[in-house]
Amino acid sequence: MGLTDETSGVIARLRRTPVGRSIFRSPPRVTPRDRAAGHWSSFLLHIYPVKVRRAELSFKYSWYLGVISTVLLGSLVVSGIYLMFFYVPSPNQAYTNIQTIQTEVTFGQYVRNVHRWSAHMMVLAVAMHMAKVFYRGAYKPPRQFNWVVGVMLLAMTLLMSFTGYLLPWDQLAFWAVTVGTEMASYVPLVGGDVQEMLLGGSVVGASTLLRFYVLHVAVLPAIIVFLLMIHLWRWRKDSMLDLDTGLDLDTGLDLDRELETADD
Amino acid sequence: MTDTTPDGRRVLGLVPGKPVAGDRKEPEEQNLVMVWPHLLVRHAVAAMSVLLSVLLISVLFDAPLRSVANPTDTPNPEKAPWYFAALQELLSHFHPLIAGVLVPGGIIVGLIALPYIDNSPHERPNRRKVAVATFTIVLVAWIILTIIGFAFRGPNWGWVWPWQEWHGEL
Repeated sequence: MGLTDETSGVIARLRRTPVGRSIFRSPPRVTPRDRAAGHWSSFLLHIYPVKVRRAELSFKYSWYLGVISTVLLGSLVVSGIYLMFFYVPSPNQAYTNIQTIQTEVTFGQYVRNVHRWSAHMMVLAVAMHMAKVFYRGAYKPPRQFNWVVGVMLLAMTLLMSFTGYLLPWDQLAFWAVTVGTEMASYVPLVGGDVQEMLLGGSVVGASTLLRFYVLHVAVLPAIIVFLLMIHLWRWRKDSMLDLDTGLDLDTGLDLDRELETADD
Repeated sequence: MTDTTPDGRRVLGLVPGKPVAGDRKEPEEQNLVMVWPHLLVRHAVAAMSVLLSVLLISVLFDAPLRSVANPTDTPNPEKAPWYFAALQELLSHFHPLIAGVLVPGGIIVGLIALPYIDNSPHERPNRRKVAVATFTIVLVAWIILTIIGFAFRGPNWGWVWPWQEWHGEL
């Protein structure tokens, strides 16, 4: 079936011409081994295993919440970088900057909307992702540690959203952050210090805005990307370790069968 | 007496009994699929759907912007962002040490420790009823508290019906 698809047809014939060979770096994928090799040699596909169990394809398996969370993170990075060009984290300028973004900057209001709604949706998606993973039992060995990384990612997502909440410097932002940081002060012994460290003083002010901004655009994104790299790497590694089948899904090859054929 | 197999290979020795590693199951090839295209196509559709929803919602609804921050003008009610609404609601009922420290701390520690506490190998929900029941109770309680704190609380954190007075802010 795959054989005829790969050797006939317009694309396949184009690939055999000198021009086609100059465009497509690799020869056509004919056998399963070829197709797996195509997967290994792709930089973008390295975050995926070569094969997955058929059950993982269905919507009800994951609701695709991991993908959805990642896409929302991407949307937040892109829209956030655009907003950074027009924003200064100082009490004198922040609010007028937002007004300028909404009224004068090209697509400013729209990009701000995308950033705001993506942020709320990401908190929701990450929380739902965790619940879905729990009910599927996907925190069981060998995935225990990846669950822990996921909990950290949820915490970082909340912190991301919370630090971003202050940046418009309107009444909503100011008082939500006042209430939110008061909660930190209830922790015994260190609570007051934690609150003061977050605020850079005893009340929400200029240093709070600067701190939240730096956390929001530099520190927390770096931590999230680092944790996400581990999270995805572990997802791929752990999904391959299908102990029941003895099959290495990383390479898509049945190692025992490979050895048998090598003997012949 | 021949010592060759039907396909002509010589048998050098036979070891009775079972393999040390246990019976090897045949890989269920039909249950495995290539990630490209089967999984990637679905992921692409999911990704584009969610992106499209975000882009559409952003056309329809503008992000809120109230008047400039004023430290001397405290709004009533004072509300935390919606994802902290459950915590704020708890704080209105219990001592801060319980509602602000023990409960959220217990949830975070419990979540991190979950895979090490529930170390039975069963994945099916009906084979790990205690874990599922505990998680569900906490989750449902958290959702209810979030909704109450977000939509059902008005001035002085008093009870309001959201269809009469709306105080939820995104």
